[in-house]
Amino acid sequence: MTGTTEDTRAATPGKLKPTARAARRTPQERGPVGSRRRRGVQWRRKDYGLVILAAPAIVFFLVFAYGPMAGLVVAFQDFNINDGVFGSPWAGLSNFEFFFTSGQMNRILLNTLVLNALFLTATLGAGVLLALMLNEIRGTLLRRGLQSAVFIPYFVSPIVISIFLQAFLAGVGGRGGIVNDALNAFALPSVSWYTEPGPWPWILTIVKVWQLGGYFSVIFLAAITSIPEEVYEAGTIDGATRAQMAWRITLPLLKPTGAVLLLLGVGRIFYGDFGLIYAIVGDNGILFSTTDVIDTYVFRALRTYGDFGTTAAIGLFQSVVGFVLVMIALGVQRRYSKESSVL
Amino acid sequence: MEAFTAVSYIGAGLFGLAAIIPFWMVLAGSLTAESALSQRGYSFWPSPFSTAAYAAIFSGTRVWLAYGATLFITVVGTALAVAATSGLAWVISRGLPRLSRGLAVFSYIPMLFSGGLVPLYILVTQMLGLRNSLFAVILPIVVAPFLVFVQVSFFRGIPGEILDSARVDGAGELRIFFQIVLPLSKPVLAVIALFYAVTFWNDWFHALLFISDSNIYPLQLVLHNMISNLSMAQDLAGAGAAPLYQIRLAMTVATIGPILLAYPFAQRYFVKGLTLGATKG
Repeated sequence: MTGTTEDTRAATPGKLKPTARAARRTPQERGPVGSRRRRGVQWRRKDYGLVILAAPAIVFFLVFAYGPMAGLVVAFQDFNINDGVFGSPWAGLSNFEFFFTSGQMNRILLNTLVLNALFLTATLGAGVLLALMLNEIRGTLLRRGLQSAVFIPYFVSPIVISIFLQAFLAGVGGRGGIVNDALNAFALPSVSWYTEPGPWPWILTIVKVWQLGGYFSVIFLAAITSIPEEVYEAGTIDGATRAQMAWRITLPLLKPTGAVLLLLGVGRIFYGDFGLIYAIVGDNGILFSTTDVIDTYVFRALRTYGDFGTTAAIGLFQSVVGFVLVMIALGVQRRYSKESSVL
Repeated sequence: MEAFTAVSYIGAGLFGLAAIIPFWMVLAGSLTAESALSQRGYSFWPSPFSTAAYAAIFSGTRVWLAYGATLFITVVGTALAVAATSGLAWVISRGLPRLSRGLAVFSYIPMLFSGGLVPLYILVTQMLGLRNSLFAVILPIVVAPFLVFVQVSFFRGIPGEILDSARVDGAGELRIFFQIVLPLSKPVLAVIALFYAVTFWNDWFHALLFISDSNIYPLQLVLHNMISNLSMAQDLAGAGAAPLYQIRLAMTVATIGPILLAYPFAQRYFVKGLTLGATKG
C-alpha cells in the first residue's frame, strides 16, 4: 500500500489547485526554490503539508470508491479471472439481457423497493415518536437511562441480531421460541416462522425499528434541544397541552432534520440492507420470495455461479437508478428548503 | 400528569425494555445448562446455572484466534481510519477556494454512487492480492464519508485567530495540524474513533468475502458460521462432548461483550457525534 500512497502523493500537486488565499495572506513572501507560478498564485513549501494530510484519504477514495466505479466496465465484458479486467472480451449488453429476462428481476426489484420503503418510513417514524416521548420524561436519570437503552441496538452486528431473532422466532434448536409461546398462551397455533415467507417483510421491519429507532431518536432529540424555549413558553401561555405542543410545535420544527434523513434514505433505497437480510435469511430459499433483494441476489449469484458479468451489470443498473433517485430527491428538497441541503 | 406524558413514559419505557431484553435472554441462556436449555428453551433466569459453555470455548484456541483477528482489524483499522479522516477533514474545513470544495464533492460522491460488490471483489482479490489478509477487511471501509463531514463541522468551529497567530510565527501546515488542531480536537477524535471501532468490530461482510483461512476468522465470522452450521460450535470447544446450543449463546456474549462493556463510557461520545452530524445538515 505504501507504494501506491507515494505515487498518488507525487501525482496530486498537479491536480490540486494552489491556494489563492494562502498567497494573498503573504504576498511579499517568496516561495522556496522549487515553487512555481501558475495563474498568479504560488505554491509555498508549507502548503504541501495540506497535500500530505489529505493524501491517504484521497488514495482511499480513488482505489476503493472510484476504482470500483471504473471497474463496472466488467458489466460489458465476458469477464474471466485469467484475462482480468483489461483482457476479457467485450460482451456488449448481453449481461444486462440475462438479468432482465431471467424472470427474477421483477420480484427482486419489487422486494428491494418495498422493503426499503418500509424500513425507511418505519424507522424514521419510530425515531420521531421515540424522541417526542423521551422529551416528555422529566427525571434526568430515567431519561438518560432510557436514551442509553434504546440506542444500544445500533451497536450490535447483524449476526448477533440474527441470533436474537432466532431466540424469539425459533427458540433453541427450532423448537418454539418466545413468540410462539405467547401465541400458544392465547390458544393460537404455533407458526413455523422460518418456513413462512408471508410475514417476513413485517418481521424485518420490526427488526429495523428495533435496531435504528433509538439511533434516529438521538438525532431528533438533538434537533428538539435546539428549539428555543420561548416557543414553548408562548404555547403554555396560550394554554396548549403537552400533546398539542408536541404535535403542533415540535413536530413541524423537526421537518428539516427529517427531510435530510429521508433524503439520505431515499438515496439508498435501491440498495438492500445486505448485512441484515443476509445475516437473518441467509441461504434459506423458502423465504426468498419476500426477502430477496438486489444485494442478496448479487451476492448469491457471484458466490454460486461466479458470474461476474451479470452481477456487475446488476450493480451498474442499481448504481445508476440509485443515483437518479438521489438527484431527484435532492432536486425536490432544494425546491422546498434552501437551508438544509446536505453539502 | 397529562395523558400524553403518561403515554410517553409507558411508550419510551417499553421501547427501552424491548431494546435490552434480547441481550438479557442470550446472557441468561448462555449460563443455563445445556440439558435445560434444549428442553425448555430460553428462560429469564438461568437454572440450573452452568458456565460449561464459557469453559469450553475459552479452553479452545479458536476463540482466542478470533479475538486476535478482530482486535487487529479494530485497532489497526481505527488508527488508519482516524488518521486518514482527520487529514482530509482538516483540508476540507480550511475553506480553501476550489481545493476544499472539490475535495468535499470528491468525498461526497461515494455516498451516492458505488461500484458495488463485483468490482470491489475483483480489486481486492485480483489486483491487490489481499485474499486472506486482514487488510482486505480493513481497507475497503477505512474512510467513511459521513464521519469526514462530522469532523469537518467540528474543525470549522476552531477559532481562526489561533491558527493565524501560529502562521505569523512561521508554522507550516503540518505543524499547525499536529501541534494545534489535533490537541484541540480530542473530543471529536474520540467520537470518530469510536464510530470506526464499532464498524470494524462488527464487520463480517468483508471477512465473509475475503477471508477463507479459519485461523484468521474474526469473531463475527465465527458466529456467522455457527448460525448456519452447529458443528462449528463443536470445533470451538477444546475437547469432549460440547454443550452446542449453550456455546452458540456464549459465543454471542463473547462477541458483544466488549462493546457492551465500553458502551457506558462511550455513549456520550456517540450522541455528540450524531449531534454534530445532524446540526451540520
